[in-house]
Amino acid sequence: MPLDTSTYSLALLRIDGRRWNDLRRLHAQIHTQDAADGSSYLEMGHTKVMCVVTGPAEPQAGQQKRGTGGGGQAGGQKDGASIVVNVVVAGFSSVDRKRRGRNDRRIQEMEITIQKALAANLHVHLFPHSTITVSLHVLSQDGSLLAALINATTLALIDAGIPMTDYITACTAGSTSSYAAGDDSADPLLDLNTQEEQELPYLTVATLGDSDKVAVLVCESRVQVSRLEGMLVVGVDGCRQMRRLLDGIVRQKGSKMIKEGAVQRSDMMAVSLED
Amino acid sequence: MPREAEPSLSERTFTLQAISEGLRLDGRKLDEFRSLELSFGDDYGVADVKLGKTRVLAKVSAEVTVPFPDRPFDGIFQITSELGPMVAPSFEVNRPTETEVLLARLLEKTIRRSGALDTESLCLVAGQKCWSVRVDLHVLSADGNLIDSSCFAVVAALRHFRKPDTSMEGETLTIYTPAEREPVPLSWLHSPFCTTFDFFGEDGEIVLVDTTWLEEQLRVGSCTFSLNKHGEICQISKLGGKPIEATLIIQCAQMALAKVKEFTDLVDGKLAEDAKRRDKGGLMAELSAENER
Repeated sequence: MPLDTSTYSLALLRIDGRRWNDLRRLHAQIHTQDAADGSSYLEMGHTKVMCVVTGPAEPQAGQQKRGTGGGGQAGGQKDGASIVVNVVVAGFSSVDRKRRGRNDRRIQEMEITIQKALAANLHVHLFPHSTITVSLHVLSQDGSLLAALINATTLALIDAGIPMTDYITACTAGSTSSYAAGDDSADPLLDLNTQEEQELPYLTVATLGDSDKVAVLVCESRVQVSRLEGMLVVGVDGCRQMRRLLDGIVRQKGSKMIKEGAVQRSDMMAVSLED
Repeated sequence: MPREAEPSLSERTFTLQAISEGLRLDGRKLDEFRSLELSFGDDYGVADVKLGKTRVLAKVSAEVTVPFPDRPFDGIFQITSELGPMVAPSFEVNRPTETEVLLARLLEKTIRRSGALDTESLCLVAGQKCWSVRVDLHVLSADGNLIDSSCFAVVAALRHFRKPDTSMEGETLTIYTPAEREPVPLSWLHSPFCTTFDFFGEDGEIVLVDTTWLEEQLRVGSCTFSLNKHGEICQISKLGGKPIEATLIIQCAQMALAKVKEFTDLVDGKLAEDAKRRDKGGLMAELSAENER
C-alpha cells in the first residue's frame, strides 16, 4: 500500500483535500493547433492530454495495415467513415520513466474503447469513403487517464465540426475501502488521482450527454457487487458535471470567435456574448 | 487483410426481427446459455470446453525458471492465446486482431490481475528459482461467445493442474517426479468467471447472453462482467458500443452473479468426478500387495 487513506473517516477529506463528490480542477482549451482540423488540450488535475483530429479525409494508403484502427472495418467503406485512434503515452508522463511500445495491450485496449465509443456516437454515415483520425498524446498521468482521453476527444471532435449525437463525457468513481473490508459504510468517491487509484477500487464511466446512458464502463479492480450501484450513480453524476464544464468551454470559445470576427453571428446561434 | 464475411441483408433482417420478438434462431430463451460441456484430459491441467459449436482447449504447463529481477518473490504466470486461421479465415498468424487483443486483456484482468493464483507460492528460492506457470489457450472452433468459454476453460484447467512436489533441505532444492511423490495442486484463491451480455434493439434495451457468431455480428454493444461466487467483481468492460441505460447494467451484474454461481458448481462437480475417476480404490488399493496377473 503506497499510502494510508484511513484518515478519510475522520474529517471526510481526501488526500488532496477534496470532498467525496468534488472533481479536480478542469482546464481545457479547444483549437490549440492551427494546422489541425480539430484539436484540444485538457487537464484534469495533473492529468494532461492533448488531442488532434484529422479528417474526415481520404484514407491514406497503408493506414489500415494496423490492427487497432477501423475495428474490423477497412478504411473508406462505402457506408460511413472509419475511425482510427492512436494513443501515444509520453515517456516523461509518469513518475517512473517506462518505455511503452506500440504493442502495449493496455494502450491498444484504450484505443479500441475510444474508437468503438465514437463509432456509435458520430454520424459517420455522412462521410462515406473517408477516415477520421484521432491522435491522443498523454503528457502527464495522474489518474483517470481513460476519462481524460475521452473528454479531450469529444472537445477536439467538436472543434473539427464532426456531427455527433451528443457529448461523450467520462470520469472515474471509486469506493473508500478496499474489497477486503466488507463494511457497508464505504463512501463512493468521484474523480480519483493516481494514489487513490492504486489503493481503492474504481471504475471509469462515460455517458452520452445529459442522459443516464453508459457508453463506456471499465472496472479493473476487485469490488463487491453491491457497491457497483453506488459507484455507478456517482460516476454518472460526475459525467453530467463534466458535460456542463465542457459545454461552458465550447460556448466560451464560440463567443470569443464571434467577437473576434472569425465567425459571422447568425440568428441561429444560441450564444450570449455578454459573459 | 482478409475480412470476415458479413451476414446478408435478409439474414440480418430476419435475425433482428426475431430477436425483437423475443425469439432466437436456435430456439433458446434470451437469457439461456447453450449446453456447456467440460471434460478433462488424461494429463493434469488439460480442459476441453464445448459451448454449442464453440470449442476451446486450455493446457497448463509449469517449468522452473529464474524470476524477474524486479519481482524476486513472485513466480511467473502467463496466459497465451493465439487465434489462427483455424478459428476463422479472418484471423492471421502473428498479427493480433482486435478480438485477440481484447480476449488476452480480458483474461489477464479477470484471472491474473484479480489474484486468482497466488504467485508468491510459486517462488522456490527467492530471486533464483521459481515456477513459471503457463496456460496455452487453443480455440478449436468459434461460434460466438469466445470470451466466456475461454475464461471458463482457463480457470478449469488451472484448478485441475498439479505441479511436481518440491522440498528444500538446507541449500538443495529437490523436485520429485510424479512416481516419487504425488503432484500438488496450485495455490488457488478464488475462481472468477466471465459472463458477456450482448445488447440489441434501437436503444440496446434487449439483452442476450451466450450469443452465436451470427448474433455477435449483429449486436449493437456488449458488456462483460467477471465475478467470483463470493459476489466480488473482478472486472467489468463495456468498451464503447451503443450507450446503455445504467439501470440495465446493474440488472446485468445481478444476472452475472447467478450465472457465475452455476459455473462454479459445474467446475466443482466435474473436478470431484475427475478426482474420483483417478483415485481407484483409494488408500486400500495402495496398501494391497495384489496385482493384475
